[in-house]
Amino acid sequence: MRAWLWDRPPHTPVLFKISDLLAGPIFAFPEVPWVDHTFEKMGTLNMNLEIHTNEKEVTEKEVTLHLLPGEQLLCEASTVLKYVQEDSCQRGIYGKLVCTDFKIAFLGDDDSALDNDETQFKNKVIGENDITLHCVDQIYGVFDEKKKTLFGQLKKYPEKLIIHCKDLRVFHFCLRYTKEEEVKRIVSGIIHHTQAPKLLKRLFLFSYAAAAQNHAATDPRNHTVMFDTLKDWCWELERTKGSVKYKAVSVNEGYKVCERLPAYFVVPTPLPEEDLSRFQGHGIPLWCWSCHNGCALLKMSALPKKEQDDGLSQMQKSFLDGIYKTIHRPPYEIVKTEDLSSNFLSLQDIQTAYSKFKQLFLIDNSTEFWDTDIKWFSLLESSSWLDIIRRCLKKAIEITECLEAQNVNVLLLEENASDLCCLVSSLVQVMMDPHCRTRIGFQSLVQKEWIMGGHSFLDRCNHLRQSDKEEVPVFLLFLDCVWQLVHQHPPAFDFTETYLTVLSDSLYIPIFSTFFFNSPHQKDNVGRESQDTQSKPLNLLTVWDWSVQFEPKAQMLLKNPLYVEKPKLDKGQRKGMRFKHQRQLSLPLTQSKSSPKRGFFREETDHLIKNLLGKRISKLINSSDELHDNLREFYDSWHSKPTDYHGLLLPHIEGPEIKVWAQRYLRWIPEAQILGGGRAATVSKLLEMMEEVERLQEKIDARPHGQGALLAEAPLLLRGSARLSALFPFALLQRHPSKPVLPTSGWKALGDEEDLAKREDEFVDLGDV
Amino acid sequence: MVAAEVIPGPRIGEAWGLTLHPLQHSGPKCVQRTGMLEPRSQQLDGHVASGCLPGEQILAWAPGVRKGLEPELPGTLICTNLRVTFQPCGWQRSQETPLSSEYDFALVNIGRLEAVSGLSRVQLLRPGSPLKFIPEEILIHGRDFRLLRVAFEAGGLEPQAFQVTMAIVQARAQNSQVQQYAGIPLSKAGQNTGSRKPPVPLLETSEDWEAERKKQGARGWRVSTINERFDIATSLPRYFWVPKRTLDSEVRRAFGHFHQGRGPRLSWHHPGGSDLLRCGGFYTASDPNKEDIRAVESMLQAGHSDVVLVDTVDELPSLADVQLAHLRLRALCLPDSPAAEEKWLSALEGTRWLDYVRSCLRKASDISVLVTSRVRSVVLQERGDRDFNGLLSSLVQLLSVPEARTLLGFQSLVQREWVAAGHPFLTRLGVTGASEEAPVFLLFLDCVWQLLQQFPAEFEFSEFFLLALHDSARVPDTLTFLRDTPWERGKQGGQFNSYTQIYNPGYCQPPAGNSVNSQLSVWDWDLRYNSEQILQFHNPGYDPEHCPDSWLPRQQPSFMVPGPPSSVWLFSRGALTPLNQLCPWRDNPSLLAVSSRWLPRAAISSESLADQEWGLPSHWGACPLPPGLLLPGYLGPQIRLWRRCYLRGRPEVQKGLSAPTISGLQDELSHLQELLRKWTPRISPEDHSKKRDPNTILSQSR
Repeated sequence: MRAWLWDRPPHTPVLFKISDLLAGPIFAFPEVPWVDHTFEKMGTLNMNLEIHTNEKEVTEKEVTLHLLPGEQLLCEASTVLKYVQEDSCQRGIYGKLVCTDFKIAFLGDDDSALDNDETQFKNKVIGENDITLHCVDQIYGVFDEKKKTLFGQLKKYPEKLIIHCKDLRVFHFCLRYTKEEEVKRIVSGIIHHTQAPKLLKRLFLFSYAAAAQNHAATDPRNHTVMFDTLKDWCWELERTKGSVKYKAVSVNEGYKVCERLPAYFVVPTPLPEEDLSRFQGHGIPLWCWSCHNGCALLKMSALPKKEQDDGLSQMQKSFLDGIYKTIHRPPYEIVKTEDLSSNFLSLQDIQTAYSKFKQLFLIDNSTEFWDTDIKWFSLLESSSWLDIIRRCLKKAIEITECLEAQNVNVLLLEENASDLCCLVSSLVQVMMDPHCRTRIGFQSLVQKEWIMGGHSFLDRCNHLRQSDKEEVPVFLLFLDCVWQLVHQHPPAFDFTETYLTVLSDSLYIPIFSTFFFNSPHQKDNVGRESQDTQSKPLNLLTVWDWSVQFEPKAQMLLKNPLYVEKPKLDKGQRKGMRFKHQRQLSLPLTQSKSSPKRGFFREETDHLIKNLLGKRISKLINSSDELHDNLREFYDSWHSKPTDYHGLLLPHIEGPEIKVWAQRYLRWIPEAQILGGGRAATVSKLLEMMEEVERLQEKIDARPHGQGALLAEAPLLLRGSARLSALFPFALLQRHPSKPVLPTSGWKALGDEEDLAKREDEFVDLGDV
Repeated sequence: MVAAEVIPGPRIGEAWGLTLHPLQHSGPKCVQRTGMLEPRSQQLDGHVASGCLPGEQILAWAPGVRKGLEPELPGTLICTNLRVTFQPCGWQRSQETPLSSEYDFALVNIGRLEAVSGLSRVQLLRPGSPLKFIPEEILIHGRDFRLLRVAFEAGGLEPQAFQVTMAIVQARAQNSQVQQYAGIPLSKAGQNTGSRKPPVPLLETSEDWEAERKKQGARGWRVSTINERFDIATSLPRYFWVPKRTLDSEVRRAFGHFHQGRGPRLSWHHPGGSDLLRCGGFYTASDPNKEDIRAVESMLQAGHSDVVLVDTVDELPSLADVQLAHLRLRALCLPDSPAAEEKWLSALEGTRWLDYVRSCLRKASDISVLVTSRVRSVVLQERGDRDFNGLLSSLVQLLSVPEARTLLGFQSLVQREWVAAGHPFLTRLGVTGASEEAPVFLLFLDCVWQLLQQFPAEFEFSEFFLLALHDSARVPDTLTFLRDTPWERGKQGGQFNSYTQIYNPGYCQPPAGNSVNSQLSVWDWDLRYNSEQILQFHNPGYDPEHCPDSWLPRQQPSFMVPGPPSSVWLFSRGALTPLNQLCPWRDNPSLLAVSSRWLPRAAISSESLADQEWGLPSHWGACPLPPGLLLPGYLGPQIRLWRRCYLRGRPEVQKGLSAPTISGLQDELSHLQELLRKWTPRISPEDHSKKRDPNTILSQSR
């Protein structure tokens, strides 16, 4: 079958009957409530199709478009040729290009034939050839072999459309064989719907929520703390034992004080309530997290600068003095202020770096790839994205040192306390609080620091296409920093890098409310507005409900099989918080490092003494003052000790240690795939062993009750496919395991036609014998 | 030079057993050298010295603390005429492992020596340079990227610190010539290797070659004994494989027309029917007659109708490039390297080492496709046939044959393609101090490491094994890496009666019984590694599903066609170009220089190249690659730095490198199995078999 498809000349379409397709995988989700809708839509779609097919020489082309509830078809074009990525030599799949108010989709003629066997990690919402409108980054058109950015009204329509996505996919659609009016319609449609500024209420989120009312509420296993009630904040205070010195307040209920702040938040106990409202929430130290020693991480949005008005600035000054006095007095420790607006990254830096960085992976064809390949390291370096990651991690280490070693409170200061504040404070918590390294804990952390912290996702992701300047990938930077930690200390995290990757993809899926508002106020407000028009409240989905996107089997890949729960449960943990399949070690926890057994290849954990050849160190932390000495000592001494995966976790920040998040950035580049190798190979081996350990453990557990061992078989996710690609689970586009990657410009010479036939015979002979 | 008094404390006596071995009565030269210091033989005291090697003299020692690694170890720094070693307190050198992989630094391995005093005084000690102060610490940077850092004890022992430092400087200066560890008492080691596992065939006998040939199923080939007395070429092994139909007289006739007499020989027979050959460059000055040419052609053709000549050095770095890159890499990986952290990546790129690794992998990947996809004879041709031919042919075999990826298979591969094939280890590793230093072998090990990274389940050996092999190249204990040619190796090993003493004049004549030593090879790991460490040579992630048995060689029809080949190609610059003839001499021998045929092809614009590059050759359309073939990634992001090897001198970046996860799980698994077995003796055998046989597990869980 595969060989046949491969050999097929590009002009013969593969024909499938709709009856074949009805049995296909798309209709195989009984638990998805929108299947019924799909059937309805299918009806109309087929009607549309018939009209078009009459005009075509292709008479019997049938395709399935999978529409979500509330999704509407806007325009379409048929006989579009989608280039298959690993081929720059004019090979591709014919199909239909469709634009809806949710996504751009390509419906290939032979799509469904291939994707049922190997795509276990299938996203239920976004197919392999679907691009949500928010995921589109740039659109290029090719006119007479020249590539131009497309925007606004077009005078001339391109023969080829190139779409760069924010998740770094690149699509090439050839429109040469498409009818002219269809080209016009689809190109202008796509440009308009992806690039024109939008109103918030026109987000697909709302049409979806309105149409999908009957979707089951929250998954019972989903215990992510949303921090939208006072209770949640109190619980977090309890968990971190911060309730002695801090209190949760509800003064902002209904957003009376300030629209930037969440309805509930936590402040130092002695802070008078009237202070909170004085500068619309500016200048208030907000509690983020308390350390085990009582020190707290606080954040504060700076007071607006008013240079002219002396009286006001005087007032501000005295107000601030009062605030500082309050939090400096016992029982509080000394407060150290960390101003993130100065002496640290600017948003501009991040934006520039990322836009350079992503170009390394948005590759139109192999030639371009090979051109950049030689200079890979220096290009990577010149984007300075990795350096920005390093600086973020370093800042987080600095703050960790203050909290942990110096017993000092840290107050993060930023203009709105909603960008770098979120980043740094959540990084510190991931490093210091093992709870934040579980999946639930991490989700709660994102909820607390980013969603409730008022990170303006709408602007930063430019979801409404209102201002390119505001588009800064701060959250992505955070995920990348966390990835570095996950990569360096895999056993410390309950989730995998795949989890982080799909989380980063979810930023652009507008059926989840999580990343589509600038603040909780905005979300609640929009919700209330639409409540007027409809009787029922809007049922917005949260991204943390992973079952919307993935089958349970696929969700297995989000969980780190090697994560071992802390031996004794935290007091603060809620009941039922543990998954039943959470792993516990059957051996006593052993120190993984410096065990004498590994003497020869021992973990060379220590460091050179700081003063010896001090150059090196001073490069790392380029300052000589005492504070930095402390930092260095803290960093070095932590790294010289064996790691407690349930304790403080510090990243390495030396040059060779900051890496490219290969899974996210390289996953769509076919040249980068290693068949049968890479991490996937290790992971599958691990899962296999894990299963066996679990099985044996169950056996042993069953023994004391005198029962025979009941073998509950875990779903075998990776079995069956013996050789996985290194890009697993994202290598779904590349399915040509038989392809030799020999650059063979000379082969043309080898095969003149008759010779060729002879050779083929020889080959067949060989295979048969 | 301060000739300080030696005060051997009881601790030292215990640990090292300061002693003169009975075998130590060595040549006068050695005695002379030790004139400055006489270790007390009265310390001997019946305490059998396990630490000292025969012929080894302790020159100086001082108590110190090994630093830089956790935990800090008190012990003794000892300088002998062979090595510098650190002896931790209470640590016994075991009989089985007379050398230590961790604490020993052969003198030739010392790349840089630094003495440190206080916080700021650092002196780089070059041979012959006087020490300017009493050192508080000494840093020994190995050329193998290791670092030994010892802080000396204060309190009256400073003279000793000074003395041992000076001794190292002097010993290094005098020991620029390689000095082999002679007469290692290996009675035990020998026993162990004999019983434990099948030893690596050293390929010094024709039986070895015959067995190996049979293993590969190369039925069209035979073992030629024509070089038994090394009269064809000293750099060639005594035996090699030639086509069955070729007579020895033809072999002799043909080989004379190749550079240094290195004619085409079989490297590896692919089960699918292709053959991988290697040979030296055509000897341009020769004037072959028709007979000669026919012999050369038939040997290159090896019975196939298609012949692909591979220009080995094309697109690969030159030897000088490799050497320069390695030097740069070493400089970069020093703890005080000048590269700033944020400039690290471009500095790494600037060494070009990874670039070279990449081009090797790329070329090997191309060739392995060439070999596996169709039946043909693929000939690797390099002028000297002793460097990159070995590298490529070993890499191709690693990529194509699952068996070469086992521990034994890999060792035999190195033995065959490097050691027996006459890679000039001594020269290339710079042990002789000759100018032709170029660590091609280390480049190869790096390539293998990349494969290991990319295919963690496909190799039976682990990174640690590669590391051990890497380090062994600098330990002058066995002849494997200490000779340039099989002839020298055999001569030194006492295989011939008629060997002369001309070679290697600095070498002290070993005492009788040394011939045992010659039997030892680098593959006798228990010389340097204890059993714990050897256990770690196994890759816990190795998936036995891909074991060699699962890969059945296809039977191939006989392609032995007499007569000229029907197609001849040159593989160069990533492309095949047709050749009119196989040998350069046929028409106009005197005018046709070898290189002239290999001018660059007409430049192809990058555009059109891209069009063709990823297109499958049409007649390969349905050709599935054999299941065992690995296609490595060789893109910038996929080639990585072998940190565990190169950054050993920077321990701060060493951490978190090994995920002990798989082996941890294995421990857990066996623990659980043990538990189960204890509780229910009835099911234990069944359970046991489950663990052993993955197929059982699979079938049960399906």
